[in-house]
Amino acid sequence: MRWLARHRLWVLVVTAAVVAVAVSAWMGRHDRTYGAALDPGNPDGDGAQAVARVLDDQGIDVEVVRSADELDAAAADASTTIVVTSAGNLGRSTTSRLLQHQGDADLVVVAPGPELLGQLGIDAFPVTTHPDVPVAAGCTAYDGLAVRVDTAQAYRTEGCFRGTDGVLLAQPRAGLTLLGAPAVLGNDQVLESDNAAVALRLLGERRRLVWYVPSLADLGGADSVSVRSLLPDWIVPGLWLLVVTGAALVAWRGRRLGPLASEPLPVSVKAVETTRNLGRLYRRAGDRQHAAETLRSAARARLAERLRLPHGVPAARLVDDVAARTGRPPGEIDALIGPTAYPPGDDRELAGLAQRLIELDREVSHP
Amino acid sequence: MAITGRVSLLLLLGLVAVLARPDGSTVWLWLLVVVLLVGVDLFLAPPLRWFSVERLPAGRIRAGHHATSTLAVGNTGSRRASLLVRDAWQPSAGAQGNRHRLHLPPGERVLLATPLLPARRGELSALGVTVRCFGPLGLAARQRTLEAPATVRVVPPFESRKHLPSRLARLRDLDGRSAVRIRGQGTEFDSLREYVRGDDVRSIDWRASARNRNVVVRTWQPERDRRIVLVLDSSRVSAGRVDDVPRLDSAMEAALLLTALATRAGDRVDVAAGDRRVRVRLRLAGARDATSRLEDALAGLHPEIAEADWPGLAGAVQRFGRQRALFVLLTPLEPSAVEEGLLPVLPVLVAHHRVVLASVRDPELERMAVARHGLDEVYAAAAAEQTLSRRRATADLLETLGVHVIDVPADDLPPALADHYLSLKARGLL
Repeated sequence: MRWLARHRLWVLVVTAAVVAVAVSAWMGRHDRTYGAALDPGNPDGDGAQAVARVLDDQGIDVEVVRSADELDAAAADASTTIVVTSAGNLGRSTTSRLLQHQGDADLVVVAPGPELLGQLGIDAFPVTTHPDVPVAAGCTAYDGLAVRVDTAQAYRTEGCFRGTDGVLLAQPRAGLTLLGAPAVLGNDQVLESDNAAVALRLLGERRRLVWYVPSLADLGGADSVSVRSLLPDWIVPGLWLLVVTGAALVAWRGRRLGPLASEPLPVSVKAVETTRNLGRLYRRAGDRQHAAETLRSAARARLAERLRLPHGVPAARLVDDVAARTGRPPGEIDALIGPTAYPPGDDRELAGLAQRLIELDREVSHP
Repeated sequence: MAITGRVSLLLLLGLVAVLARPDGSTVWLWLLVVVLLVGVDLFLAPPLRWFSVERLPAGRIRAGHHATSTLAVGNTGSRRASLLVRDAWQPSAGAQGNRHRLHLPPGERVLLATPLLPARRGELSALGVTVRCFGPLGLAARQRTLEAPATVRVVPPFESRKHLPSRLARLRDLDGRSAVRIRGQGTEFDSLREYVRGDDVRSIDWRASARNRNVVVRTWQPERDRRIVLVLDSSRVSAGRVDDVPRLDSAMEAALLLTALATRAGDRVDVAAGDRRVRVRLRLAGARDATSRLEDALAGLHPEIAEADWPGLAGAVQRFGRQRALFVLLTPLEPSAVEEGLLPVLPVLVAHHRVVLASVRDPELERMAVARHGLDEVYAAAAAEQTLSRRRATADLLETLGVHVIDVPADDLPPALADHYLSLKARGLL
């Protein structure tokens, strides 16, 4: 509780933030907007919400489908118009599903690209035009109407609104209409010239309107374009040739000139190795007493040699001589090198003893 | 069968063909062409049975010195051949630059010289001679390894030769002068000459002076025709390396220097070496090429991982003769090995001969004994002190038995042994 009391402010701020996020999410869960161009749920300038709302108000049964499965679930009969916006999201598989599902319905595809045109079975290449003046219909279905758009795609085929490069509203076969002027449906240009009338007449001809916004999520692997088609065609054989060249290089460099030369090696070990291992054995056994006694007796022998004392001199006399030479009390020297000195209790004492013995030896040889 | 780098280049050239006709079949066609070319080239390459190789004897080499191995390659065929020949030796022979590229006209024979720089002594053997014979296009080659057995005897380096001139000078000093001052039991009468100021008055021969108008002194020369027996221990204790040189090699250096010196001084040298059994047994009495004979005999001697059979070795040297001799035992002062193997035979030897034990001391032991930083080093120092004190005790024991012990680092062993020999000779104690 003390923790809560201390961080009260932070707890309140975090709680308030969580609540605010949760409430706004709850409130806004139905107000989803879509950002794609000509989306029936997009109120922006490039959206088509206006046309969709007006059609709905005029008693047309507008159904928006956003995936191929939803499209399959939506009914398509002679009283239905299917309009496809965001046609660039259609792949090979979703196009064929669309055509299978069409049946008697009227299909309007807005601004199809050349790839999609090929899949629809139409041999017409779209040409981008910029008509400066309204384009008159020039056909009976839209008699007297004209569209005015900034940019459009013209198709060289049968249809209405013929400009210099082709028609803006193509009807290459019965039941299929291509709208080359997508701005006709767009929120910001729908009020220009007769655009609204053309849009309502095109989409409101039948009682039901299925507005299909294809999704990229429906596309499978077969719809993709392989990287290979983007590469020059000599790359793959060239790479194979390089692999073979590499193999030849390996065969060239890897072939030895005769067998390996072998060497009969004589046996030889470092002479000091046994002594080193003896030291390791002492350490593993923790034999401090033995190690200390060895170091002390070696120090005694060395000191006796330095002081020119005979071999095997009594320890007491050696201690006295060393004490006289170094000016240290004999008791201290005896505790250091005496044969009855205490063995070290732990490794630290042993290391200290070893160090002091070396120092004593140095002191005696260079007083 | 071998291919050359040109095959890779030719394959790479196929990239042009692939660029001109970008298709998978182009690769296959190009590959087929290259394989055909390689096959034709291999077929046209001269057959290997045309070539004969023969190694000329390389003789004797000193370790660490440059030498040359010569190989004769002959072409008995009818066409000119382009060859790559590898003269393979075992790595320690140091055969650098043993690959020879040559063009051999038909019916000719060339000598190929391969430089050798042997790194260690012993019998070094040559391996096979590999001949690679290229086709006319230089794409493919036939290859075979031909047998051409040869060995070269690499004798010990004898680095201690550098000590020989100074020791010989001291030997000359002994001649006639030094021996006069120290009149031991073994000095030999040389000649009479006139007294000059500075001669020892005790060496005046009064009887000869009485018959002469001048005072005459006797001169002496060091004793000659003494016997020296060198025994090298090639057992496991000699296998140890001291500063990267095996103890046996250091012992050989000492033996060679002593032999060179003793033969110049007119003494006879017998050598035995062995471990479980006697490996070298050599009488160098009166031989002028004693040192080189000893080098040859010791070249192939390597330490064995076995205990020395000292009774056997002693028996082998006893058979050299019963005359009193200077026995030099070249064996490491290893307490356990000495106590168990050597001690039982020593009393007999000491009773009849003067015995010297020459051992290589390991300076690393002394360094270990005073390095005391950290616990590992302290325990290692204790072990080193233990080893040193046991060596000292063994040396003391040997001295008590009457054996002179020389225990010095490897580099100092040959001069120390030579100096001991000279001092014995000067005092007439041989």
